[in-house]
Amino acid sequence: MTGLVTGWGVLSAAGESVSELLAAVRAGAVVGVDVRDRFDEPLPTAQAPAIADFDVRRLLGRKGTSFLDRATALAMVACGRALADGGLTPDDDNRHRIGVVLGTTTGSLKSTMDFSRETLVQDKPYLVNPVLFPNTVMNCASGQAAIRYGLRGVNATVAGGPLAFLYALRYALNALRRGYVDALLVGGVEEYTPNTAWAAELTGAGPAGEAAAVYLLRRPTPGLTEAPRAQVLSVATGFQPEPSVDGLAGCVRRALATAKVRPADVWAIASGDLDADSLSEVVPVAAQRWSVRPALGDCQSVTGALALGVLLGRYAEDPDARGRPALIVGRSRDGAVAAAVVRG
Amino acid sequence: MHRVVVTGLGPVSGIGIGVNEFTAGLRSGRSAAAPITSFDASGFPHHWAGEVPAFRPEALLRRLRVADWGRSALFAAAAARLAAMDAGLSLPATDPARVGAVVGTTSGESTVVEQLTAELVAGGYPTMSAEALRQAPAERLSYAVSAELGLAGESVTLTTACSASNYAIGYAYDLLCWGEADVMVAGGADSVCRWAHAGFYRLGALTEHACRPFDRDRSGILTGEGGAALVLETLEHARDRGARIYAEVLGYGVNCDAHHMVAPNEESVAACMRLAQENAGVKPEDIDYISTHGTGTPANDLCEARAIRAVFGDRVPPVSSIKSMLGHTMGAASGFGAIATTLGIRHGFLPPTINWATPDPQLSWIDPVPNTARPATVRVAQNNGLAFGGNNAITIFGAIR
Repeated sequence: MTGLVTGWGVLSAAGESVSELLAAVRAGAVVGVDVRDRFDEPLPTAQAPAIADFDVRRLLGRKGTSFLDRATALAMVACGRALADGGLTPDDDNRHRIGVVLGTTTGSLKSTMDFSRETLVQDKPYLVNPVLFPNTVMNCASGQAAIRYGLRGVNATVAGGPLAFLYALRYALNALRRGYVDALLVGGVEEYTPNTAWAAELTGAGPAGEAAAVYLLRRPTPGLTEAPRAQVLSVATGFQPEPSVDGLAGCVRRALATAKVRPADVWAIASGDLDADSLSEVVPVAAQRWSVRPALGDCQSVTGALALGVLLGRYAEDPDARGRPALIVGRSRDGAVAAAVVRG
Repeated sequence: MHRVVVTGLGPVSGIGIGVNEFTAGLRSGRSAAAPITSFDASGFPHHWAGEVPAFRPEALLRRLRVADWGRSALFAAAAARLAAMDAGLSLPATDPARVGAVVGTTSGESTVVEQLTAELVAGGYPTMSAEALRQAPAERLSYAVSAELGLAGESVTLTTACSASNYAIGYAYDLLCWGEADVMVAGGADSVCRWAHAGFYRLGALTEHACRPFDRDRSGILTGEGGAALVLETLEHARDRGARIYAEVLGYGVNCDAHHMVAPNEESVAACMRLAQENAGVKPEDIDYISTHGTGTPANDLCEARAIRAVFGDRVPPVSSIKSMLGHTMGAASGFGAIATTLGIRHGFLPPTINWATPDPQLSWIDPVPNTARPATVRVAQNNGLAFGGNNAITIFGAIR
């Protein structure tokens, strides 16, 4: 069960490339963007790791974009860039073999809560704007991306918060392995809004971040000419809520075994938060540890996708890294664990 | 490739909780439609829904602390517990890592989000409850199932709206086929909520009291809720433990309209049926019954019926919509459809479409099994799920051979 990463579309507070993402994560300091003028509502902080200067109309045009929420628009732009970067043009011959798998946490919390709020504050509870109703469903971003690029293959949205990208990657590998599709846009998106900012603040997860990261994943087939940026070798997941069980280490071992990679050969690990000795019982202490959260905040379902972006940045800049396996790992508050093995 | 079978059913619905009550409800054409009690619906012109007022999570759950989870997670976990009991699974499993959960949903913890909205309206963002914020993520639906049953395998929530249960069943089926798990609990859950009620009303898709799919005078959905769970396992695993087998999962198909967020697309729905049938290795003439998406809106039923005719030609099997009984249970809907289909195969009957009075001349090829369940031999059956976002997913079940 493997897939080839042949293109990326990455937007974050750090910029619009994996090299900028890598630079920000390497620097380690939170990327602060002034968010004071973005909303009428008060925000917990004046600065946040949010995407600067995202102009939906400039990027997607005026037609059909006025009712899009920010998360959906970000996902659509990231999907378009991943397709373009991977050199894949959907047409009538291939569009039913190309799909979208996006990770999420709650969809757009702002869209849903704004819509819900109208039922409380309007004169009549039904005086909601029906045009905005689709924004409340969690598959809005993947559905709109499919419409924009004409992608009729497998289209799924996978909830998992900090693990959502890894779940999406596993779901995608299954669809590729089963031959349901030849290519999938796989990623995650989270918008920065007062809702997410306060949610992160109040639950101690802050600061909330904002990012969209989507990768074009191709089925390894003989006719594929584009040189892959990396290969996804395996993804393992599990649910281990007992604090006494180190579920993530076991999950990593399973992922490595499936990928036929020796733990000693792991060159890097990327995640939301890692310590210098994270997973040292499985992989070498010398392996690089990359944490995206200190620089980019709590990006929830994009966390794993940003971690992959960092690894792609490293593979691109360091010829010695080429061909060496790396891990993307995650653990959720509820005890779920996931690990992916990639090789650039 | 492993064969995959259904060995346990867990419906938590407005027409019955548990497989016996639910089967009796299907056979007798029971209706869940009633005035809404879970929120103040007095300001709505239409204020009926298919709720589950008899749902007492504390009476069904053994491990979860009810206060820690939102209503949809509790529906999912209770359904899973019932399905596991019905399957006679011994839990914890010998190898918990080989048992997992996949749950589909449309709106996840919608009532939790509504609570947050009420707090926000009353006191501003900083007054939102941290505990409710922790309960809001949709991933908690499958985690509730895994925690309730002590499962250590894959635990994933698929948020592909109103076909999400079929996505869940399909993904679980693939994992079992490929030998990545021995047992998977798959299904879906959603809760009736104010915002969805308002949204469907404003789309003109909400009926007043009775959902009447395929009737000439159908006028929309009733919002509904519940939890639907199926225990799926490899045939070897089921036989090794001497499990009762309801039916076999033959396959499934998913595709995307890529056309419109809300309106279904006939050509794409037909294509999804063909994908599912090809994946299941069956032909249209093999199929004895279709459990339709059948929302009861004029547009859906016309589109779906035309897609069925495009695929089945002049040999359209009987179809029915259990949404006439349950209301539209959103992410749980195709899970309930899968349970009804499985029961029809096992017990030899077709669930009815209730509230049906007048044939629609535009749907002349549709036999909706009107009002009364019908005895029938069901060897192969198709379970349709369509959704916002153009997320079509169709599962196919067969009698065990």
